[in-house]
Amino acid sequence: MKRSGWRWRVISVLLTVASAANAATRPQYGGTLRVAMRASPSSLDPAEISEAIGGRNVTALIFDRLVTTGADGRVQGALAESWEISPADQRVQIRLRPNVKFHDGSPLTAEAAAASLRKGNPGWTVTPAGDLVIIEPGVSADELLQVLALPRNAIAKRDSGNNISGTGPFRVADWQAGKKLTLAANEDYWAGRPFLDQIEIEMGRSFRDQMNALESGRAQLVEVAPEQVRRLGAPRYEVLQSSPVELVALRFAGDAASVQQKNVRDALRFSLERHSMHTVLLQGAGQASASLLPLWMSGYAFVFPTEADLARARQLRDQVPGAPSLMIGYDNNDPMARLLAERIALNAKDAGLWVQLNAEGEELRLLRIPLASSNPRTALESLNRQLGLPAIAGKSQSIEDLFSAEQTALASGRVIPLFHLPLAYACAASVRDWAVAPDGSLSLVNAWLKSQQP
Amino acid sequence: MSLRRKLLAVFALTVLLTVTGVAWLIQAVTRNAFEKDENRRTAALVSQFQSEFNRQGEEVVRRVDRVAGSEALTRMAAALGGASVESAEYLELARSLAESHQLDFLEVLDWRGNIVSSAQWPAKYGYPDTAFETLAASAAQSAFLKLEEMQDSSALGLFAVRTTRSAEHPVYVAGGRRLDKEFLSALNLAPDVRVLLYQNRDQQFAADLLIDPSSSSTLERAGPAEKLAPLVQAVRRSDREMSAIVNWSSAEEDQEVFHAIPLRGVAKDRPLLGILLVGHSRRSYVELKHRIRDAALLAGGGGIVLAVLLGSWAAARVTRPVEELAAAAQEVAVGRWGTRVEVRGHDEVAQLAASFNQMTTELLAQKERLVQTERVAAWRELARRLAHELKNPLFPLQLTVENLMRARNQTPEQFDEVFRESSQTLLAEIANLKGIIARFSEFSKMPAPQLQAVDVNEVLGGVAQLFQAQFKVPGKAAVECRLELDGKIQRIAADPELLHRALSNLVLNALDAMPSGGTLTLRSRRENQKVVVEVADTGSGLTPEECERIFTPYYTSKQHGTGLGLAIVQSVISDHQGRINVRSEPGKGSTFVIELPENGGALGGERSPRDKTVPVRG
Repeated sequence: MKRSGWRWRVISVLLTVASAANAATRPQYGGTLRVAMRASPSSLDPAEISEAIGGRNVTALIFDRLVTTGADGRVQGALAESWEISPADQRVQIRLRPNVKFHDGSPLTAEAAAASLRKGNPGWTVTPAGDLVIIEPGVSADELLQVLALPRNAIAKRDSGNNISGTGPFRVADWQAGKKLTLAANEDYWAGRPFLDQIEIEMGRSFRDQMNALESGRAQLVEVAPEQVRRLGAPRYEVLQSSPVELVALRFAGDAASVQQKNVRDALRFSLERHSMHTVLLQGAGQASASLLPLWMSGYAFVFPTEADLARARQLRDQVPGAPSLMIGYDNNDPMARLLAERIALNAKDAGLWVQLNAEGEELRLLRIPLASSNPRTALESLNRQLGLPAIAGKSQSIEDLFSAEQTALASGRVIPLFHLPLAYACAASVRDWAVAPDGSLSLVNAWLKSQQP
Repeated sequence: MSLRRKLLAVFALTVLLTVTGVAWLIQAVTRNAFEKDENRRTAALVSQFQSEFNRQGEEVVRRVDRVAGSEALTRMAAALGGASVESAEYLELARSLAESHQLDFLEVLDWRGNIVSSAQWPAKYGYPDTAFETLAASAAQSAFLKLEEMQDSSALGLFAVRTTRSAEHPVYVAGGRRLDKEFLSALNLAPDVRVLLYQNRDQQFAADLLIDPSSSSTLERAGPAEKLAPLVQAVRRSDREMSAIVNWSSAEEDQEVFHAIPLRGVAKDRPLLGILLVGHSRRSYVELKHRIRDAALLAGGGGIVLAVLLGSWAAARVTRPVEELAAAAQEVAVGRWGTRVEVRGHDEVAQLAASFNQMTTELLAQKERLVQTERVAAWRELARRLAHELKNPLFPLQLTVENLMRARNQTPEQFDEVFRESSQTLLAEIANLKGIIARFSEFSKMPAPQLQAVDVNEVLGGVAQLFQAQFKVPGKAAVECRLELDGKIQRIAADPELLHRALSNLVLNALDAMPSGGTLTLRSRRENQKVVVEVADTGSGLTPEECERIFTPYYTSKQHGTGLGLAIVQSVISDHQGRINVRSEPGKGSTFVIELPENGGALGGERSPRDKTVPVRG
């Protein structure tokens, strides 16, 4: 008996230890996740919110799209259970997922979905038919599905009182526009209740503030400047970064009005030391690029040369009489933008161009533009639209046509691509199962908080 | 101006001049003393600033020394060797070192002068520092001034350069502190001293190049920075230290003394990088000056008031006896011989008063004697005249009585006839005696005038009318009567009957003086608030002696006059508070001039001057 009792005690202890170890890796319900972000949107409406990554992260938590884009660029169903493309490629019938409810308790209907899509796309013909939503967008069906996967086409229910309701994993509990958003778990979420009870999002915080908040424990999940990722490296934080999904580029306000102006722009383009900036200022984050789409997306970005050609730049500048000067604008809240602008001014000076810094300047502006989609064509379309470039001709998705379209866009002289940067996030070790989506947005549907108990 | 006022004015003026002079003297001495003190203070403040500035420079050197000796720099110097300076690893190095060592500027340069890391211009990595030659020459030296160029601005800094050598080539560390508001505020200076820095970047003075730690309050409140422009420009031109007083407003208290010190760089041409302005307020000096002025004004004003009061008192004390003497003299002048003044003390004024009293006493005695003499003379004259008047009728009486007695004794038969003739003669002479006695009686009974408003011209006309018949008496030479009357003269207070009588006497005298005819002129006019009446004839005229005595009672120049006519006239005129005199030369006629007061005050029962009494302090 004595021997048997000892064995049972050992087995009991082993079972307890095994159970505890298992509990540490098994998702747990409950807890509040505190997030900090730079963006400070004034609205939560997906049709109004910008395509900046901060807006995407917020809308992805509250609203669902009919379809989403996978890491491979292919469309996956979300609120759409299935879809059918008409033979003439002019019309798409989408069957909605059943038993989906908005946060206000009302069911997702074809009428509500159609109204939401019409709000974001006034040019489309969207018709509800039973549990079907019929869309006639005037573009190819494949392209339509990519567009439906964009955050701005998330399904939202708007009432006359300016209240907005989604079907996403979290509902709005408290909203202080541009400052703080508190989300509570959607108990009736069609994909299952999220593990987190609440998410508190502090908005309008700089990278430095976010890092301080993370280090002091006031935030558990923050954005990280790409150039800081290499330095972060502390084992207590988990750092994830996306593929380079943000274009850093110089955009001129309009087309070159004269040959001299075009020469000045080209002189500036040739004077830029992208690799030096990438190596030193960006600390090697992302890629130096002279193309609009990143290499991983297009596969042809290397064709556009990124090396500086100071001799060529000076030659072009010498063809311009007088002392050409430019005013470069940048995001005053982005220290890296300021550094890049200063370096660009120094490079330009080497070529004989006088570039002054003015944060509010619009004549020449340093921009950071997130790629809207992992689909190359959709992403290029979105970039062209945001940069004020002409839309892409034709409906082809072929690489050759994309290359041609990008060449045309760059030949306009209105944009000088500089880099493609990834989006990076750092998270406290207590946050588990969070992910970064292919478009660089956060995925917190399955995130959970590890218990702090020993 | 009275003597008292003159004395008072002299006192006040004397005190005013004295107080003003003393105040000016005090102010001049104070100003002089303060200016000396201010110069000493300015020199001390400048010296204090320079030592403080040097101390800050030494602090910069210490910090740069520490940076140069830091492990990070040593590692970096070893790692660099001769490799490319474009390393991501060093981008933030200068900034973090600058932060940890509290430096505003920090650049790490390789041995070629290329920027490896820059705190103030991080994007300039890999570019050469244009001032490398100067920096390299300044290594291991004390702190120096340098104008640091940045992306879109430049700033003045206090720099030090040190080297770190861990490999073949040295690494230069150029660090410094920006000469900005914080730097200037950190200087340990006296409370009322402030330091401003003008950055000498443009040829023209620009207010935004002036760094003032107190710009948010003092300078903006005090006034625009342009007021410092003249001093800055003067220092630029003269290239030496200068001082100036700046008036921030019209108020003198806002004045500030600035001492300008040119700040030069260490480059070969020693460029003028900035001008340091050490200022301190003159408020305390001005306030003290104002306090002295106010005190002087108060003391001066008080002194003047006191002097006026004391002067008034003293002048009163000095002048009162003199004024009493003057008043007494006036009393004496109007005939009050018995006036006396009080004699106080034993000074000259008292002696004068005593002499005055003695004089009046003597005058009174002399007057008494004169009156007695005159009275005696008058009695004698009266007796003589009376004897003369009585003697004339008495002699016929005596002869008549003796004739009667002789007729009774010698020719009784003729006695009745003689008695009858003698009786007539006796009665005639007795009547003559009665007439003489009646005239004397009339003179003694001169009535007091009954005053009423009288038109003098009317009285003159009445007199002329009365004597109209006598001007042209048959068998006698005619007398022409002329009336030259001023119609604008006012009525006067007079007794018309007495006035008529007096004027009639004068006309009678005139007629007596012109037995061969002539012209009688009756005039009236207004002169000096008096009504003047003239009775002029073209008769035989009077000698000067007769003119002097003509109004004396019982004096007459006529054969059968009593000598009372003009005395009566003078008495009447005197009772009317007037005066009468005569202008005459023998053979050229006589003019009697009567002056009567114009106002009718006598109607109100004004007292005669003889009734007046002069108050004399006894």
